[in-house]
Amino acid sequence: MAYSEKVIDHYNNPRNVGSLDKGAEDVGTGLVGAPACGDVMKLQIKVSADGIIQDAKFKTFGCGSAIASSSLATEWIKGKSLNEAETIKNTEIAQHLALPPVKIHCSVLAEDAIKAAIADYRAKAQTKS
Amino acid sequence: MRLRGVLPRLTAPNACWSCGAPVPTAEPFCPTCKSVQPPGQADHFSRLGFARTYDLDPKLIERRYFELQRKLHPDRFATRTPKERQLSQAQATSLNEAYETLMDPLRRAVYLLRLSGIEVGGDGKTVADPALLMEAMEMREALAEARSSSEVDQVVARARSEADAVRSTLSTHFSAGDLKSARTDTLRLTYLDKLIEDARARRLNVA
Repeated sequence: MAYSEKVIDHYNNPRNVGSLDKGAEDVGTGLVGAPACGDVMKLQIKVSADGIIQDAKFKTFGCGSAIASSSLATEWIKGKSLNEAETIKNTEIAQHLALPPVKIHCSVLAEDAIKAAIADYRAKAQTKS
Repeated sequence: MRLRGVLPRLTAPNACWSCGAPVPTAEPFCPTCKSVQPPGQADHFSRLGFARTYDLDPKLIERRYFELQRKLHPDRFATRTPKERQLSQAQATSLNEAYETLMDPLRRAVYLLRLSGIEVGGDGKTVADPALLMEAMEMREALAEARSSSEVDQVVARARSEADAVRSTLSTHFSAGDLKSARTDTLRLTYLDKLIEDARARRLNVA
């Protein structure tokens, strides 16, 4: 199967690979997996007091499309508010990367990882207040 | 829309295409005229003469597979009619699929759950089981950080022993009819098998 140029670019030069301090109050962590292929994706966000995503990091073990989807996701959510980031759809990721139909689930994984990271951050903020 | 009752039924279910005598499901040959039958809708277990159960003896699976394979081999049908050649081919294909599914514990578990209406994989569905994913992430990181073949081997050894343990609890859950736990174990096994497979490629890239 041929990957698109954008997928190859993100795969060879992934943006924002790494980890943030999972225990920090201003960090939300989303951990999701794709059962069909055994992929696992971690996406973390660092959120400012006014609800803006200042930093995002990811670590993905999976195919090129899964890595590209999460790399792109971290690029897109940086600088966005939580509410804005939440509206990112897997279809936008899939379209931007020109993912073939069999790889659509990789973009779903990235969308779910963003949502899980935001939910984790909000749950932490709730217990704090 | 259901077609049953709308379309006229031309033949009784499982009637031999050649002589019309009844043929039991999953029986590759007509008991009356010995003609080879279409593979039909039999599940992988009944095709190899097993009940739907997780605990199967690999040696017995193998024995039954080879017995049937011998009888269905296309070479035996070389001088038969085109229809019989085509049917024996279809039978051999279904038999191979049944054999491959039942021999692999992970595929067997996924298949057994599917027969009970439980999908383990399926595109577009995400797992969010934190304990399972944390374990998967941690082992993946250990594999990615392994710098020598002996370090890779250590990760693989751990994954293998975890996988053995999962296969054994899987058997307990299936025999107790606890399909929810069986599904969780099957997911864990998916991740462990994938890791072991990727470790093979990784091993080639380290000293």
